[in-house]
Amino acid sequence: MSNIDRRTLVKGSLAAAIAGTALSRAAFADTSEPILLGVSGPLTGPNAQYGTQWKQGFDLALDDILAGGGINGRKLAYSFEDSQSDPRQSVAIAQKFVSDPRIVLELGDFSSPASMAASPIYQRAGLVQFGFTNSHPDFTKGGDFMWSTSVSQADEQPLLAAYAVKKLGLKKLAVLHLNTDWGRTSRDYFVNAAKEYGAEIAITEGYIAEERDFRSTLVRVRDANPDGLILISYYSDGALIARQARQVGLKQVICAASSVYSPKFLELGGEAVEDVHVGTRYFPEDPRPEVQKFIAGFKKKYNGLEPDAFNAYAYDAMNMAAAVVKIGGTDRRAVRDAFMKVKDVPSVIFGAATFDVASRRVKGAMNAELVVRKGQFALWDGKPT
Amino acid sequence: MMSSWLDYTINGLIVGNVYALVAVGLALIFGVSRLINFAQGSIYLVGAYIGWVAVVQLHTPLPLTIIIVAAASALVGLIIERFGLRPLQNSVRIAPLLATIGISFVLDQLVMLTFSPNPRALPSQLPDVRFQVGGGTIGPLDLLIAGVGLTSALLLFVFLRYSKLGWAIRATAQDRDAAMQMGVDVNRVNQAVFGIAAALGGVSGLLVGMYYNQIDTAMSLQATLKGVVAEVVGGAGNVPGAVIGSLLLGLVESYGVAVFGTSYRNLFAFLLLVVVLVLRPNGLFASARQAPPEPLTGTFIAPSRPVRIPRWALLVAAAIFAILPFFPVSFYVLQTLINAWLLGMLALSLTLVAGTIGQVSLGHAALLAIGAYTSALLSLTFAIPVGLAIIGGGLMSAALGTALISPSFRLRGHYVSIATLAIGEIVSLVILNWESVTRGPIGISGIPPLSLFGYELVSPTSIYWFSFIVMVVLALLQARLLGSHLGRSFRAIRDDDIAARAYGLSLNRYKSLAFIFGGFAAGISGGIAAHLYSYINHETFNTQQSILALTVVILGGLGNVVGAIVGAVALVGLPEVFRIAAEYRILIYGIVLLLLVRFRPQGLLGTM
Repeated sequence: MSNIDRRTLVKGSLAAAIAGTALSRAAFADTSEPILLGVSGPLTGPNAQYGTQWKQGFDLALDDILAGGGINGRKLAYSFEDSQSDPRQSVAIAQKFVSDPRIVLELGDFSSPASMAASPIYQRAGLVQFGFTNSHPDFTKGGDFMWSTSVSQADEQPLLAAYAVKKLGLKKLAVLHLNTDWGRTSRDYFVNAAKEYGAEIAITEGYIAEERDFRSTLVRVRDANPDGLILISYYSDGALIARQARQVGLKQVICAASSVYSPKFLELGGEAVEDVHVGTRYFPEDPRPEVQKFIAGFKKKYNGLEPDAFNAYAYDAMNMAAAVVKIGGTDRRAVRDAFMKVKDVPSVIFGAATFDVASRRVKGAMNAELVVRKGQFALWDGKPT
Repeated sequence: MMSSWLDYTINGLIVGNVYALVAVGLALIFGVSRLINFAQGSIYLVGAYIGWVAVVQLHTPLPLTIIIVAAASALVGLIIERFGLRPLQNSVRIAPLLATIGISFVLDQLVMLTFSPNPRALPSQLPDVRFQVGGGTIGPLDLLIAGVGLTSALLLFVFLRYSKLGWAIRATAQDRDAAMQMGVDVNRVNQAVFGIAAALGGVSGLLVGMYYNQIDTAMSLQATLKGVVAEVVGGAGNVPGAVIGSLLLGLVESYGVAVFGTSYRNLFAFLLLVVVLVLRPNGLFASARQAPPEPLTGTFIAPSRPVRIPRWALLVAAAIFAILPFFPVSFYVLQTLINAWLLGMLALSLTLVAGTIGQVSLGHAALLAIGAYTSALLSLTFAIPVGLAIIGGGLMSAALGTALISPSFRLRGHYVSIATLAIGEIVSLVILNWESVTRGPIGISGIPPLSLFGYELVSPTSIYWFSFIVMVVLALLQARLLGSHLGRSFRAIRDDDIAARAYGLSLNRYKSLAFIFGGFAAGISGGIAAHLYSYINHETFNTQQSILALTVVILGGLGNVVGAIVGAVALVGLPEVFRIAAEYRILIYGIVLLLLVRFRPQGLLGTM
């Protein structure tokens, strides 16, 4: 067994090396072909909505990149393979991408099980897996080809805690969180930070993503007698909780994580999300040029539609990929090395994004404190609600 | 504190109301066709989106909206009945079940492609007044939902009992052949039932969508799951029972949240189901006079003539797959086949349990999860070599799986499927909540890669051979088992359990043996997957996996060892082949599945 194994390994890597050199030569010769990125994400299945949002963000960024002359004169393009966020499919897609010599970099997947199941394949084959929504603390520990611009929850949650405790003056909190790896990690960072700032955690409740009915959960919350509700939610469940909280007569201040930042949150929540506080990474009136360019471009391209957090992540990720490929070219290892070299890439989320080489993540996300006023997200004016 | 209990009770009743709308439709169809209509949730979805078009685009007033939704959904129901199910009425009993799964794929995908997967707001058209009840409030929509649920149950009850068509429906439900001899137009009865159930399903989607001011394409499966639980608790096929079952389900969930917290909610829903099934298999409200819900002998899985594949052809096929990596095939193809071999192991397990001994399991992914977690934790925590850890996973899955399923050995037909569905959900929720062992939602990362005798198997080629050899060994063992006295006993139990018992076979012992062997194969598959993925959490092995496994087994031919493997290759391969179709691929997959069921209901290779 071992014999066969080693032989095939050697044979395989030799073949790959030969194919690699042959192809990189071919690739450099043919500059009319676009530089191709692989995207593994959900286009069907229960998370399909996020894949659709990614596409919107990617396409807008690609328009900008093309208008700016492309990658040293070449066009940038992506090949989106639908994984349904299913690990079985994401590993097959991973093999497809790593054995397709045109792919210089991979983006995604969406959920942790799908992304991290594919990581060993990308790592062994030496293709960067750029997971821009992967906040799982172990994602970048998969190897030196795993990079992420997902805002670390160790960064984000203390900002939200500061907003709720220091700014809004909440002292006794109820935390409702999605019971996923993201929600759980976020909850722990939030609780630690909030306690450090002097607040008391009255109750924490984890709910599964498919949950629609929160009335009984809210009775538990009411009985814990908090003065504020913290939502570590996505926009659809966040809107449901806010609505039902108001329906059962809870009048406490609600403060939500940036993942609810979406026009859909306002649409789905209606009057119930009025006065909800949201800690975000950017806001519509943000004077930063990269934000203004993003929002104006997005509205223009998509008939006046307001972008949301997932659109912004995807937009930033594509811009980052372009910056990296500009430095690294089409050689996969050079692309990996380019992640260490790339500096101050304009970013909606980070302002200017530079990777921390040790953690392979970007630190220092921007912070904006918003509140919903008259059905719109607005910068919080410091007035209590 | 007393007032809180009142609130929990009210909230339980409110959400129970919501479940009732779906459960009543399911109960009606089950009552007549003895079919769990997995497409009911999809009709609910279609109704919600038609409602959205009516409300948001056409600005219709509420009564007109309800009429539009009911009419359009009824039409969808009629189409399903005429083209999806009627052609199957003389084929194996299990074929319509598979057809409804295929139909639900197609409907969900059509809605997703038409309306995009983004959630939408579906504003309520009722005045926004709230009445104070206990510590909370209820609104007019709560009352409307309760009204629709109760009225429809009552109307159906009266209709079934006192109208001529109702008599025909009940006669058909009791004995289809006898009803036909008495001149009942069975097709018309089925049409009426599907039309009514679909209209109800569509209206419930509309009302629930308004209730939450939110509709999205993921709501279909959840609605079906909760509806099935409520319906079975109330007594499958019993319309008023379905309403009471739904309210009970709502209450149990609400009290579960009250006592243990939100993350235990569904655990209580499914525990309720298992307890009811074990204690009162016909549901809480089945009357003693009622005819048994399943035929006494095993017509659920009709035997057919299996396709005989000559031994040399199997050997040639095995040899081709064994030497495949020597040919210039891409790693992508190899990885896809690795997935097929892993699914093949699961299908071997399920085809034994479902096909050979007749216990159609809808919770088989739980066995994968048990095997995967055991193997991952053994190798990570106790540094046990991966090869041994995987075998440990297989053994744990065999032991724990059999222990969990054993209380439901006395169940038959659909009830086994529903009990196993519940057990599958329970395992997944225990994994989510038992954090000290399973690390809860964070999952287990850094699982060591596959290795054998100290050599790591990391190249796709070596993983391919490893999984292929394991699957072939399991398949050979199973084929040997089926050819033995034991295999004959299994089939005897499936075909006629009363005769088998009269012959002196101990049913429970044989069922346990089947689950032990099947659990082992599934556990091995899960164990290998854990080391292949390096990261698993409670979502890795989900309900969709269980449904996929059942689809594979039915497609291949129940009990058919080669069929299970052929089915696995087909169902892993087809969605990959259709990748070119991007967003449309699951739609195409659903249509292909429907066509296969239509023209080959006994499975590609036939039932053994």
